[in-house]
Amino acid sequence: MFHWLEKNPFFFASAISIVISFAGLIEIVPNFSKAARPLVDLKPRTVLELAGKEVYKKDNCIACHSQLIRPFKSETDRYGKYSLSGEYAYDRPFLWGSKRTGPDLHRVGNYRTTDWHEAHMKNPSKIVPGSIMPAYKHQFTNVADIETAYAEAVTVRNVFHTPYGPEFKSGKAAWEAHKPKVLADAKKIADEMQDEGVKKMVAEGKVPEIVALIAYLNSLK
Amino acid sequence: MNSLMIKTLGFAALLILATIFVVTKLNIDIFADSVNALTIAGAIAVATITSAVAAKYINQMKTDTTSGKLAEENWDGIGEYENELPSGWAYTFLAVFMWSMWYGLAGYPIWAYSQIGEYNEEVLAYNAKFEETHKNASEETLKEMGESIFLVQCQQCHGATGDGLSGRAQDLTKHYSKEEVLNIIKNGQNALGAFPGGMPAGMASGADAEAIAAYVAGGFKGEKPAAFAACASCHGADGKGTPMVAPSIHGYDIHNVVSKGKKGKIGRMPAFGSMITPVQEKALTAYVQSLAK
Repeated sequence: MFHWLEKNPFFFASAISIVISFAGLIEIVPNFSKAARPLVDLKPRTVLELAGKEVYKKDNCIACHSQLIRPFKSETDRYGKYSLSGEYAYDRPFLWGSKRTGPDLHRVGNYRTTDWHEAHMKNPSKIVPGSIMPAYKHQFTNVADIETAYAEAVTVRNVFHTPYGPEFKSGKAAWEAHKPKVLADAKKIADEMQDEGVKKMVAEGKVPEIVALIAYLNSLK
Repeated sequence: MNSLMIKTLGFAALLILATIFVVTKLNIDIFADSVNALTIAGAIAVATITSAVAAKYINQMKTDTTSGKLAEENWDGIGEYENELPSGWAYTFLAVFMWSMWYGLAGYPIWAYSQIGEYNEEVLAYNAKFEETHKNASEETLKEMGESIFLVQCQQCHGATGDGLSGRAQDLTKHYSKEEVLNIIKNGQNALGAFPGGMPAGMASGADAEAIAAYVAGGFKGEKPAAFAACASCHGADGKGTPMVAPSIHGYDIHNVVSKGKKGKIGRMPAFGSMITPVQEKALTAYVQSLAK
C-alpha cells in the first residue's frame, strides 16, 4: 500500500520533515510572533535616550548588568514586574545581558532618580557601601553623540517603521529643527543634577554623556 | 547434543568461571552477604541467557530458509517481503495517532504549560501564606522584616544604618530637628501632595513656634505648650494625625513617602508602592521608627 513512498526516498524524506515540523510550527510560530509585537503603549526612545543607550553600550554596562527580569518571585520582589518580550520591540539590539555582577536594570527608572545616578556614577562605593562598580567620571566631561542618535532614529523609522513622527527626516535641516528638543530634554535632566560642569555644558548646547545615560536609565521602566 | 549446544554451554561456563575468578581475586566472600550472592546469581543468569539467545540465532542462521512474496522494488539486490504489519506496531501506531489528535486539538491549546501561570500561582500561594503567617506578627518580627526590606530597597540612599549617607537622603536616625520643625511652621509643608491643600505657612510664630518646635522635636515629652492647639486642629491632640487631613508627626509616617515618592530639598525619592505589600510597609514603618530615638 505504501510501497510507492519507499520507491521515492527524496519525496518520503521531505514529507517526513514537513509532518514533523508542522507541530512545531503551529505551537511555536504564533506565540512567538504575538509576543514579539510592541506593547500597546510602548513608545520608541527619544533621541537623548538613544544617545544614552549608546553610552550604555560603549561603557559596556551590559557586562555586569542584565535587563531582563525573569518571572520568579525572588526577582519580581527586588526588581519589579517581570519583563515581556514586547517591551524590547524597539530596542535594536536589545540589551538583555546574561551576567549579573550588579543588579538588573530593566526597571531601574522606577526606583532610582537622576540625582542618585549622578552621585553614584561619580563614586559608587560611597553611595552603595561595598559596591565594586568602578566610577565613571569621564561621562561628566565626554560629549554624547546626539547627532548619530538622531540618525539612528531616522534609520529605524525608515527601515523598520519604528513609530517616530513624520518630522524625523534625514538631512541637516531636519536635524537642526529637532536639536532644540533634544537640548530641552537634556536641560530637564541637568536641572535636577548638582554638577556645575554638566550644567555649563548643557547651557552651551553640548550634551555630556552622563545626561544622556541618565535619560536612558530613567526611561527604563 | 550437537556441537553448537556444547560450544554454547562451554562459553557460558567460561563466562561464569571468569566472573567467579575475578571476584575471588578481589577477596570478596560470595556467601557472606545476601547481596553478593544475589549479584553472582544475576551474573550467572546473564551469562546463560546471553549464550542461549546467541545459540538460538546462530542455529536459525544455519537452518532457516526464506519464504513469502518479495516486493517489486529492491535496492542493489536487497529486497523485502510483502508481509503484514506486526499487530503490536499497528496498535501502537493507532494509539499514538489518537493521542496526537487529542494533544494537537485539545491538550496543547487548552492545558498548555505557562511559565507566567506558574509564576502567578507561586506568588498567590506565597502571598496568602505570608499574610497568614504575619497576621499577628510581633513587634520584634516586624522590625526584623523591616530591616531586611530596608537593606534591599532603602539603604542605597539612606545608608545601611539609616543615617542618610551624609546628606544624600533623609537621616532616619533622627526625627525632626528643632530647625526643621521651625522651617515647616514658617513655610508650610506639602511635599507629599498626599493631603488636600497641605499645611499653610505661618500657623504659629515667635515664642509660640519655638515652644512647639522644642516640644515636637523633643519627642512630645514634658508639658504641652498652649500654642500646640494650632497643630492639634489637624494633627490631632496627640499629634498622631487625622486620616485624610494630616499625617502623624510622631516619628516617620512612611506610608505616603513610600507609596508616592517625594521631592524634597535633597532630591527626588522614587515611589515604591508597587514593590511593598501592606504587611511589609507595616514592618518597614516599625523598623524606621525604631531607628529614630
